[in-house]
Amino acid sequence: MKLILTGILAGLLAATAAKADEMAFTSWGGTTQEAQTKSWAAPFEASSGIKVLQDGPTDYGKLKAMVDAGNVTWDVVDVEMDFAIKAAKDGLLEPIDYAIVPKADLDPRFSNEHAVGSFYYSFVLAWNKGAVSGDTASWADMFDTKKFPGKRTFYKWSAPGVIEIALLADGVPADKLYPLDLDRAFKKLDTIKSDIVWWSGGAESQQLIASGEAAFGQLWNGRVFALQQDGTDVGVSWKQNLTAADVLVVPKGAKNKDSAMKFLAAATSPAGQAKFAEASGYAPINTKAKAEMTADAVKALPDAHVDGQINLDMNYWAEHRDEIATRWYAWQTK
Amino acid sequence: MLLDYDRLGWLRMALAGFTALVAAFLLLPVVFIVLLSFGSSRWLAFPPPGWTLKWYEQLLADPTWIDAALTSAKIAAMAAILAVIIGLFASFGLIRGEFRGRQILRGLLLTPMVLPVVVFAIAVYAFFLRIGLAGTTIGFVISHTVLALPFAIIPITAALEGFDKSIEDAAIVCGASPLQARLRITLPSIRIGIFSAAIFSFLASWDEVVVAIFMASPTLQTLPVKIWGSLRADLSPVVAAASSLLVCLTLCLMIVTALFRRKLSR
Amino acid sequence: MQGNSLRRGAIAGLPAGSGGALPAVVLVGLFFVVPVVALLLRSVTDPEPGLQNYAALFGSGTYVRVFLNTFLVAAVVTAVTIVVAFPVAWMLAIMPPAFGSLVFGIIILSMWTNLLTRTYAWMVLLQRTGVINRTLMGLGIIQEPLPLINNLTGVTIGMVYIMLPFMILPLVGTLRAIDPMTLRAAALCGATPFQAFRRILLPLSLPGIAAGGLMVFVMSLGYFVTPALLGGTSNMMLAEMIAQTVQSLLNWGLGSAAAFVLLVVTMALYALQLRLVGAKRPAGGL
Repeated sequence: MKLILTGILAGLLAATAAKADEMAFTSWGGTTQEAQTKSWAAPFEASSGIKVLQDGPTDYGKLKAMVDAGNVTWDVVDVEMDFAIKAAKDGLLEPIDYAIVPKADLDPRFSNEHAVGSFYYSFVLAWNKGAVSGDTASWADMFDTKKFPGKRTFYKWSAPGVIEIALLADGVPADKLYPLDLDRAFKKLDTIKSDIVWWSGGAESQQLIASGEAAFGQLWNGRVFALQQDGTDVGVSWKQNLTAADVLVVPKGAKNKDSAMKFLAAATSPAGQAKFAEASGYAPINTKAKAEMTADAVKALPDAHVDGQINLDMNYWAEHRDEIATRWYAWQTK
Repeated sequence: MLLDYDRLGWLRMALAGFTALVAAFLLLPVVFIVLLSFGSSRWLAFPPPGWTLKWYEQLLADPTWIDAALTSAKIAAMAAILAVIIGLFASFGLIRGEFRGRQILRGLLLTPMVLPVVVFAIAVYAFFLRIGLAGTTIGFVISHTVLALPFAIIPITAALEGFDKSIEDAAIVCGASPLQARLRITLPSIRIGIFSAAIFSFLASWDEVVVAIFMASPTLQTLPVKIWGSLRADLSPVVAAASSLLVCLTLCLMIVTALFRRKLSR
Repeated sequence: MQGNSLRRGAIAGLPAGSGGALPAVVLVGLFFVVPVVALLLRSVTDPEPGLQNYAALFGSGTYVRVFLNTFLVAAVVTAVTIVVAFPVAWMLAIMPPAFGSLVFGIIILSMWTNLLTRTYAWMVLLQRTGVINRTLMGLGIIQEPLPLINNLTGVTIGMVYIMLPFMILPLVGTLRAIDPMTLRAAALCGATPFQAFRRILLPLSLPGIAAGGLMVFVMSLGYFVTPALLGGTSNMMLAEMIAQTVQSLLNWGLGSAAAFVLLVVTMALYALQLRLVGAKRPAGGL
């Protein structure tokens, strides 16, 4: 009992000890968060005097629990964009204060009332040159097991991407993708189901392609870039590359809301975005950032491949997230 | 006969051979991780194109790895000590106590193992947020003790069940106090059970990642949380290097313990 | 004097009776039952009061399939673990200490290595292009790579690997507590080794098998990192499904309902196991 009382006391002390000149930034860990720390948090700390505590990994359940309990210890969180739209609808997010965060140069595709872009990326078709004879060129090739035998790898979770790829491969024109024809997509996916290896995290997708375990797959462009940088013999096709984004949000009731908004301004600034893009291979969401990057780094960005580029419809996904997920897992586990 | 090592006959060879195979099976991934940690392949290709120490350099250059390991060790030690003590008392109660609902109670104490950890993680985190224990070391230790408790109770109750209580009674008849009998006779007899309990409950905390993600705060990052982020995001061989160092540390500890024991027995 | 012996009696007496369980009950009651019940209640209140979450759960073929699969995987893993662990525990219980501590050391070493790291190591080992397949093909034993991953085989290998120590260590304790004289007596009375094994050794080690088996089975039910990485999507376990439901879809009502059903089914199995093993257990004192 004494232990419990001491515990509660200590907890209360810890809760009141949070200082005004501190804030917590949460992301997914690993090198991405390291790059965010170096490119955003460090310069921000130097210029504002506000200390940025690094927390993580991002966990949506944890975020919801904080907001529900009214005890929010995260001030800025890096989340996937379709989640952000759903979370905003569920009342979990603070609106972004665009009086503090300059909006003019932000890519309008990746910012809205409750979220500003963190970085964006494209799903591209990548293949291990040793495991595939000839070059694959389009999503349709991933469904042609005769011409291109071998395992193919796709993103495991119910998220924007795979459904669209199946539809494109089945001949749906890019501008007629939405609303998604799920029956048609799953029917198309059925044709290669036994040849699919799923990847659940970015690193896994790289390992699968690099080792040749999967001959080709749907990868994030930053991951393919890193493979090529490392000298792995991979090919990449940007045809019909599909853009998606991570965004930065402020959970409802965040304790250091003002600092959080100032941090967002720094993170989305041209300099912050340029630095992060160079460190991570992901694309900046500030249209002025490219001017501050080296020519080589710019060449690797999805911006160099806007021809035939398709923007995954995050609003559609946020709207139909649960419905698609139900179908998705029913199909996967069958 | 069957429990006489020297009289097993052909069975001894068969059992020894099988045990060796299982030992090899258990060692395989550990050895593999150690090899990968020296491999130059960024993508865990094996055999690697070359050998390198750069993953160790990266590991040692990053103090957060060591901090995380220390935090993990501290929390796991506290959780294990609490779980073994509480579990020991509970096991005596469960095995020796004659009361109704004993089996129900036993079932209750084992439920933390059944529930998918993510459900417990969200539940206990929401609760801690409300009573102010979220993000504190004490909250971390409490939640891990709850998870570790079944791992302490199961081996201790199994050992107690196999222990013949009449030996303890005999000691009391011979003039030992009940406490003496328990400390000198019973506890040493069930020491393997207690040892298993200590190891299992330490590991239940040391290797736990789901609750740890919820309990973590900027100043409270455990090793599995760090590894989780690093594996998912980077799959970097640095993780293999970190694991190898821990294997090395464990080996050293085991050798020291073995030497110490030999010295004592001389 | 009297006070002293009373106090001593109190210290020694506490763990003997029901009171010994008190700290555990307080801990589990306050920090497990209270928060978990509060969350599980959401299965009938979230998003609105009623049983719609349970209707959704049982109405969905997916959840039913995942449920059955979870119990299948847990059962397979438990059975394989028992069969593999028993001979090892047997050997460990009677081996000369020098070899014994070497094997113990290997067991502890493997447990000490981070679980996620070990699982990833298995992934690289078991892949079609992995070390095992390439070695076997290099030796000419197989022509085509064996499908060792993304299926039940992969899950079983990975999980048995993790569970083995949890089975071996309690079993060693049980086997060591058996008096070798019992078996010598059986031999003297003319029992063949097989009879002695079936009639004496196996029944006497049943508490250890039951304890370890229960721990392995129950742990397997709640696992998801290993099945997620080494199994295919058709081997999806309930814990992974629940994690998706509560963490990604934020549907705490449905997730809680699934967790509650898992809890009830497991408790029922536990009760069943108590009856079966409890009935067979030899009378105390033997």
